[in-house]
Amino acid sequence: MLDGYTQSILIFTGINIIAAYSFYAPFKTGQVSLGQAGFMAVGAYASAILTQKFGLPFPVALAIGGVVAGIVGVVVGFPALRIKGVYLLLLTLGFSEIVQVIVLSWEYVGGAQGFRYISFNPHTLTYTAIIIVALILFFARIERSSLGRAMDSIHQDEVAAEVMGVDVVRIKLLAFGIGAMIAGLAGGLYAHHATFMDSTTFNIMLAVEILTFVVVGGGSTYWGPALGATVLTLLPEFLRTLREWLELLPVAWTNFFPVNRVYDFLHAFLDFENAKRLIVYGIILIVMMIVRPDGLLTRDSLRRLPFTRWKPGHA
Amino acid sequence: MLEQTANGVCLAIEGLTKRFGGFYALNDVNVEVASGHIHALIGPNGAGKTTFFNLITGVLSADAGRILFEGRLVDDARPSNRTVKGIARTFQNIRLFPHLTVLETVMIGEHCRSYPSVWKALGKAVLQRPFGEAQEERTMRANALELLEFLGLAGQRDAKASDLAYGDQRKLEMARALATKPRLLLLDEPAAGMNPHETQELDEVITRIRDRGVTIVLVEHDMRLVMDISDRVTVLNFGTKIADGNPKEIQNNPTVIEAYLGEDVQL
Amino acid sequence: MIYQQLINGLMLGASYSLVAIGYTLIFGVLNLLYFAHGEVFMVGAFVGLYLVIYAGVDIYGALLGAMIACGALGIVAVFVAVRPVSKDRPLAPLISTIGLTIVLQNLAVYLIGGRQLAFPETIKQQLYHFGPVTISSVQIFILAVAVTLMVLLWLFIERSKTGRAIRATAENHETAALLGVDVNRVVLITFVIGSGIAGIAGVLDGLKNSSISPFMGLGAAVKGLIVMLLGGLGNVPGAMVAGLMLGMIEILSAAYIGTTERDFFSFLILILILLYKPTGLFGTRTIDQR
Repeated sequence: MLDGYTQSILIFTGINIIAAYSFYAPFKTGQVSLGQAGFMAVGAYASAILTQKFGLPFPVALAIGGVVAGIVGVVVGFPALRIKGVYLLLLTLGFSEIVQVIVLSWEYVGGAQGFRYISFNPHTLTYTAIIIVALILFFARIERSSLGRAMDSIHQDEVAAEVMGVDVVRIKLLAFGIGAMIAGLAGGLYAHHATFMDSTTFNIMLAVEILTFVVVGGGSTYWGPALGATVLTLLPEFLRTLREWLELLPVAWTNFFPVNRVYDFLHAFLDFENAKRLIVYGIILIVMMIVRPDGLLTRDSLRRLPFTRWKPGHA
Repeated sequence: MLEQTANGVCLAIEGLTKRFGGFYALNDVNVEVASGHIHALIGPNGAGKTTFFNLITGVLSADAGRILFEGRLVDDARPSNRTVKGIARTFQNIRLFPHLTVLETVMIGEHCRSYPSVWKALGKAVLQRPFGEAQEERTMRANALELLEFLGLAGQRDAKASDLAYGDQRKLEMARALATKPRLLLLDEPAAGMNPHETQELDEVITRIRDRGVTIVLVEHDMRLVMDISDRVTVLNFGTKIADGNPKEIQNNPTVIEAYLGEDVQL
Repeated sequence: MIYQQLINGLMLGASYSLVAIGYTLIFGVLNLLYFAHGEVFMVGAFVGLYLVIYAGVDIYGALLGAMIACGALGIVAVFVAVRPVSKDRPLAPLISTIGLTIVLQNLAVYLIGGRQLAFPETIKQQLYHFGPVTISSVQIFILAVAVTLMVLLWLFIERSKTGRAIRATAENHETAALLGVDVNRVVLITFVIGSGIAGIAGVLDGLKNSSISPFMGLGAAVKGLIVMLLGGLGNVPGAMVAGLMLGMIEILSAAYIGTTERDFFSFLILILILLYKPTGLFGTRTIDQR
């Protein structure tokens, strides 16, 4: 029903949304992680090993991949409890890099050649959609619960939360583990759609990109990650469509000076070349941080919507 | 409750010592707080009063000494765990959660009572009915409202904590601390920044909290308030205890008067 | 053999140090992980390359040109991605400078193409033998430039009035402002100096590897971060020494253990430092953990 190209774009958007939620979970307790690329790699390799080397069915392998990533997340998250801010950023960045080095030197999963010929799963789109719906429901309920409120309090003042009896250690660890598990699911979906991965697939730039999804979408509401990931992933597609619209304009409208110059410039600029797409992406990030540093969606903007029958975080 | 008041020891501090570098913030301090008392802790600036609170609540760890709460050692417990055991506090430099509402802030204090384990909290969060709410949540809100009523903040329940007036923020800190259902409440300069009328009210509020069966340790610069409501007063100077006694004794203690020389305080 | 490796480690470490100095200076005054710093390094390498090829300048001209161009880039960065961005949200400046990173890297890819370019030989290659150790003229040049720069910078930071202002700002913004330090100006100067040094480091890197690519910045950025942390956040002399140490460690582990493990060790060091000595080996000026 959907052509392959559209399906592929939807899948990548969906995987990015899931990855964004994997960042959002620890972020809700104030932990900023660049380790989500590493956790995606753990989930991707674990699930691909299970389907390719042990012949497990995809859904089972996907789930186990998520659990393995979650366990690794708790193991990484435990020492990470001791540090904050920049230090946590660097620690998780180091984790992602170490995963890359391990993948590169591990011959069992292809080493420098990469993990090749992973069986393509035709139902990835369905699984992606199911996981996204589940995640949104999950975070909507967290938002309306006492646990969600406790997480917010940790984000806003960790010491005060701890002194008020909030079990900061366990809640932060739980959030970090849940985030890692979600990242593992995203990785597993990616592996069985792209069918190839190597040590550079889950690199630092991916971790940084996941962070930008959430900050651009808005990290204070659970709709923010989905919005940010969707907007930023579809942006190049949007630019491409814009170009096609340009081409639809009657020649007579554009074929005179100086409009023709503007037209040519835009037409050349809006093509689907990666470097230009990324330049625009970078500019948008800078502009966003200047005009809307809290992200596209904030708690206050949600409160202003007429149809929100309950206030977020308020039950 | 009354028997406890008669002779129980709520908090016993033995040989408490804290160094920052080579500087002794607290040096071998011994204090005993009787159950049901309002026990004031006074001393010039830098005497180590806030450090004392930070050590009791576990925000800092002591270099030496023991802290016994209701006869049990709490030295190794994390701050949240000490709160669960029954110790609560307010902060001198107000530390509210700026983006939470007044009601939500108080409900944070109740979280540890309604959800003793993270798993229960997670389970209740995930399994709640789509448009309903957990029984715990209803109880928490009712209790929180009652506390807000008690402290006269009920009218501002939906305001953002950071939007409250200064005096109200201090009251909200007390409400949040009381929400943890403490048996020992540490108040760090509750009257700071309040006008005389508000201080008068505070006087009454603190007494009423004590009458609910909560032992209170009070750090305060407003000597009139201290001498008015305290059952016992401990004086610290440069990290050392220099006096201990009832308000009358303290007011006539020459060492204390000397320590306060040069400070603009009416004993 | 070991002496030769130590020399090679020193060479590698010198360029790490130069990159990390800028990082740590900027972190000191702004508490900001300036991700675009690696790209500034890359831009410096390309400016040097084009100056040599098209303007026909010698290596000193290339170094000077790269320094000026990158210094100017530092000013642009401040006005585009730092000053307009709200300071009370810790993630906002981080993201805007990540945006700048992406723009610079892809601008380079767009203008040059995603390939490696050969860096011209601007110094006559000559080998000197000292007992078991062989050093080339290029290596001596790189080391000399790096050491000179570090000494000059150290003198500047410790002795000059501006250097004192930078140190005061790194300790505490408010206090510095109260003491009459123009914090905005200090931030600007810090970016110019840090970026200028990164530009020189880029040219030196081109000289050493005889090739450069638009993607050389990311690796430099990550290694620079590790060095900064190892030396203590905001600690300039610490970054200098830590850079040399990391260079040695990497070369030695590559020589005696394996090349893939080389990166593993640097990240292992990063993690161990974070967990057991987050103030770095030589202490840090900014201990605020937020």
